[in-house]
Amino acid sequence: MLDKVRNWLRENLMEQGPAFDAAALEWYDTAAAEIAAGVSDTRFGSLISMASRKARPRPAELSEAALERAAEILEGWNPFDWTVLEMARVGLILARTDLQEASSSAAFKSALEYADMGELCALYRSMAFMPRAQDYVWQAAEGCRSNMSDVFRAIACDNPFPAAHFDDVAWRSLAIKALFSGAPLWRVHGLDGRLGEQLAIVALDLADERRSASRPVQPELWLCLGTNGGERALESMKLELLGANPGGRSAAAYGLARAGRSDLLRELREKEKDPGVLNAMDRALAGQHSQIEFRTLHCQPH
Amino acid sequence: MRFFDPHIHMTCRTTNDLEAMAAAGIRAVIEPAFWGGQPRTRVGSFVDYFSSLIGWERFRASQFGIAHYCTIGLNSKEANDRSLAKDVLELIPRYAHKEGVVAIGEIGFDEMTEAEEYAYQWQLEFAAENEMVVMVHSPHRDKKRGIVKSIEMAQKAGVPMERLVIDHNNEETVEDTLSSGAWAAFTIYPHTKMCSDRMVAVVEKYGPERIIVDSSADWGISNPLSVPETGALMKERGIPAEHIELTTWQNALDAYAQSGQIDVEALLAPAVIDQTKTFLESSVLRGQDPVIAE
Repeated sequence: MLDKVRNWLRENLMEQGPAFDAAALEWYDTAAAEIAAGVSDTRFGSLISMASRKARPRPAELSEAALERAAEILEGWNPFDWTVLEMARVGLILARTDLQEASSSAAFKSALEYADMGELCALYRSMAFMPRAQDYVWQAAEGCRSNMSDVFRAIACDNPFPAAHFDDVAWRSLAIKALFSGAPLWRVHGLDGRLGEQLAIVALDLADERRSASRPVQPELWLCLGTNGGERALESMKLELLGANPGGRSAAAYGLARAGRSDLLRELREKEKDPGVLNAMDRALAGQHSQIEFRTLHCQPH
Repeated sequence: MRFFDPHIHMTCRTTNDLEAMAAAGIRAVIEPAFWGGQPRTRVGSFVDYFSSLIGWERFRASQFGIAHYCTIGLNSKEANDRSLAKDVLELIPRYAHKEGVVAIGEIGFDEMTEAEEYAYQWQLEFAAENEMVVMVHSPHRDKKRGIVKSIEMAQKAGVPMERLVIDHNNEETVEDTLSSGAWAAFTIYPHTKMCSDRMVAVVEKYGPERIIVDSSADWGISNPLSVPETGALMKERGIPAEHIELTTWQNALDAYAQSGQIDVEALLAPAVIDQTKTFLESSVLRGQDPVIAE
């Protein structure tokens, strides 16, 4: 897999035009070769820093084919919002030839210790490719504790690492923090595969808190339930479906379908007038209610 | 009108300040590494401090549409703790090449001790080798001689004068600074250093070339709006708009963009404030409604 990722990064860096010109590519190849030959931890960190002198943190232009290829290489890896600089930095990180050894984890840790915000994002984005994943689990959870939203998203969204390696506590924290912070929970890879009673309880408590404070419930909150939460979950979703917020009603409709309660959803559909919500209800009843369906319902908290 | 405050210690300022600064037209700031009001005793404190300058403080400012750059350096006061200073100097190369680090600074003299001279010399040489801009803090006491010595040492170390910014100038030092070819920055403090009134007189007398106005606002009595307020006073006193622009925006940009670490194109685009991107449970917003504006 590592070689495929390395090739993907280099090939797509070459497609970035003036954002990554021939001089930048030459520097990149030289730096990657230097890293591959073995460098001190300090030098490794410096080369990752110096990439910012060759590439700006501007959005990368990636074709549909490139994104499809990325998903083939590693399920859950979706670099659609990576910057050119992040691509270069991840490429340099993966240029190490000792990724199977403890020395690479030590160098990575040192780079994190001295990292700026952009470097943190690149380091977190690269974790999914690391062969010694267990060496990075605690640090990945640290990324989720960051108050810098870009850093949080770099590890939490479009990244297969957390679903594969987080324990339940870290996983629940990630999901609920995404709701709190307005990060797109539907983009947390593997969410549907790691639902559970404890997550449902925390999510339902949060819904109650929001209502007590007269604040709308985040539509993506209903993503956290699945078939969990029992009667309390059903009551909470029904309450949402009787509310005035169409986004919330659409989301709760998906939630009910996810809970396997199409019967309740059909009943509530009879009273629904909003065409957007009706559309969501019909999709949900047709079995289209995976986390991807929530992409149009993601909104910022109030 | 847009303003650049190229010397302000944001880590000491509140979100109320950030809001007021943005409203007053401040689009960009430089936060020089300095001392924390009381001496640090461990190198780890510097690691965390430097990291906050390139991480959290930059992020915090961005929430208010303010571009945040910083300088990295060992300040003159703490240079006097020799064993700590040695460890801190070793950290400089790890931070100097980070994105948005526009200079080595603020460095220079406080009491003009040998230990200060050693740290200053070391950092001048590092800056010269790495073709970096240098921001010099001039001493409060014995300022005139301190500035002359700071400039001479920079010249000897091979720092080109166009990459040297001497800060905290006053009427008594401005000629030495300007005649050396360095940039002359002035700190507008409510009670000490310069006031806006005197600053206007300096610009009237010397013109706008290589003159930079900043606030150096920190944890003491200081004013984060010094730059726009001085700009307003200049306008009131009939200083040409072009001169105001130079001394409160363009000169700072020209001086520090030599680092290659200011994305000028991005800075000149309209400020985008999107606090929704960062509405975190313990973020700067703390439950307020996020602002989305262009």
